[in-house]
Amino acid sequence: MASPAIEFSGVTKVYQRRFGGVQIAALSNISFEVARGEVCAFLGPNGAGKTTSMNILMGFIYASSGRSRVFGYEPGDVRAKERIGFLPENFAFYRYLNAEKLLHFHLRLSGRRLPDPAALIASLLAKVKLDTYKGLKIGKYSRGMVQRLGIAQALLGDPELLVLDEPTSGLDPAGRKEVRDLILALKAEGKTIFLSSHILSEVEQICDRVIIIDRGHMVRAGTMQEMLAEDNRVEIIVDQLSEEMELAVKEQAASVEREAHRVRIAVDIAHKRALAEMLWAGGCDVISLTPMKSSLEETFLKLVAGGTAQ
Amino acid sequence: MKISTVAIKTIALSTFGSFLRNKVILLFVSLFVCIVLLMMSPLLAYKAMTSADNAQQMQGFILNEVATVVSMVSGFGSLLAAWAAADSVAGEMKSGTILAVMARPLRRWEFLAGKYLGVLMLMAVYVVAMFGVTFLLAWLGGQSFRTSLWTLLVYPLVRYAIWAAIAMFLVTMLHPILVMGIVVILATLIQVFASTSSHMPVWLRMPLHLTLPLTGLLSEERFMVITRASLKPFPWTNHLTVLAYGVDYALVCFLLAVFVFQRRSLARD
Repeated sequence: MASPAIEFSGVTKVYQRRFGGVQIAALSNISFEVARGEVCAFLGPNGAGKTTSMNILMGFIYASSGRSRVFGYEPGDVRAKERIGFLPENFAFYRYLNAEKLLHFHLRLSGRRLPDPAALIASLLAKVKLDTYKGLKIGKYSRGMVQRLGIAQALLGDPELLVLDEPTSGLDPAGRKEVRDLILALKAEGKTIFLSSHILSEVEQICDRVIIIDRGHMVRAGTMQEMLAEDNRVEIIVDQLSEEMELAVKEQAASVEREAHRVRIAVDIAHKRALAEMLWAGGCDVISLTPMKSSLEETFLKLVAGGTAQ
Repeated sequence: MKISTVAIKTIALSTFGSFLRNKVILLFVSLFVCIVLLMMSPLLAYKAMTSADNAQQMQGFILNEVATVVSMVSGFGSLLAAWAAADSVAGEMKSGTILAVMARPLRRWEFLAGKYLGVLMLMAVYVVAMFGVTFLLAWLGGQSFRTSLWTLLVYPLVRYAIWAAIAMFLVTMLHPILVMGIVVILATLIQVFASTSSHMPVWLRMPLHLTLPLTGLLSEERFMVITRASLKPFPWTNHLTVLAYGVDYALVCFLLAVFVFQRRSLARD
């Protein structure tokens, strides 16, 4: 069986100040796996340990304890790095180069040999909509343009795994949509994508799985469906609800929200049948009965630091 | 283990290219050119004042002036080598450009080797320029070199390779400013050691002898007396031993740099 694309097992990272001896635990016993072909979001509030985890994954820093593997290799192993495209949180660049030269530089480092490297670079620049600025020095680029260039350099080596730290950071809504579409296209190609983001509505649209960490601790990992099905309630919509019926409904521990032409009733899934029958019997026209799903943002806020972190 | 020579070459060329745009290095070089030009003006004045009566005395002034400039240029090269090596690694770490680079299939030692080669390329250009200045000054002083001159190119380059490797080793642990401070202290210590080692007790002399880079061995002054503009004859075995010592010292420092760099964090904590 092929090894997972990413494997973290009991990874702990403790930073120690040189002279003070103060220890700061950035990660505590983090364990998760990302299967090949999966789009996995790595979420957490600022300072949760996302970038530290990604740095360990890329071999930039070493874990204090635990085991981490990328395609079965130790992080930093060139055999693993040959298969990774990486976008750092703040993509830094040589300001004196232009986009074309920077991509040529990274292409040579990637070790990928192509008959026509210029064609690949031109197509990537077109893909991230920088083809008209390819001659401009990167030092003159806006934040969004730099981010697009960072995405282009991550795609240079035709990687199997993309590690993207805040890929839509600094982009305008149109740019964010383009990146989202690009990630979906890469997903369709069977690439594995591991990304961190604070824009949870986007994550909800593109990711198969979610891992949430907070203050270095793993809070939850699961598929997107599991995350969104966290709410064990159903929503019953009726056309009208009398005052007496409302009191009766509330006795079933349900909440009632009146709108202009309908009434929304949220009730625990265990009481749905009894409540629905009571509403029918009471003469209410039940328009719909659907399981309630909280958004990823709601789930996230519930899980992370008592809902105050974001 | 397949070594990525293309990647090492790419890093080396990129490092060399960045030096040509590095404002601090450009400032240093401009300052240096200004000082050389300033020092040339008394030299030209001496030459202009030379007549049949004072020819010998003026010749002495001129050649002393030339020797001072050459010695200064040569010493400045050591500082430049150390600064370039320290800055090339620290700059990448500070700006964060190292992250995208090291995400490529590149080993840490290959990155460091590329950086080191880039520094050596800069120093090779410097040595050639220094060679030109030496010739120009000797010509102005009315002298001409008549011996094999490869030593004037190779010796300083090996000396600079040592300083670059020392700085590269230190910068894997320390801030570049601190590295330069240590380099200056070390260079001073070498001078003091060279002049006082015979009076030192053996317990102090031996460890210093083993640890300090004896760059005096690689000084052009050992075989070139500028005031005579000729090279002292040295047997090739001596050249070989001295150069091997220099290359070995640089290699040891470079390997120490690789050892430390392999273990350190590349990302800002």
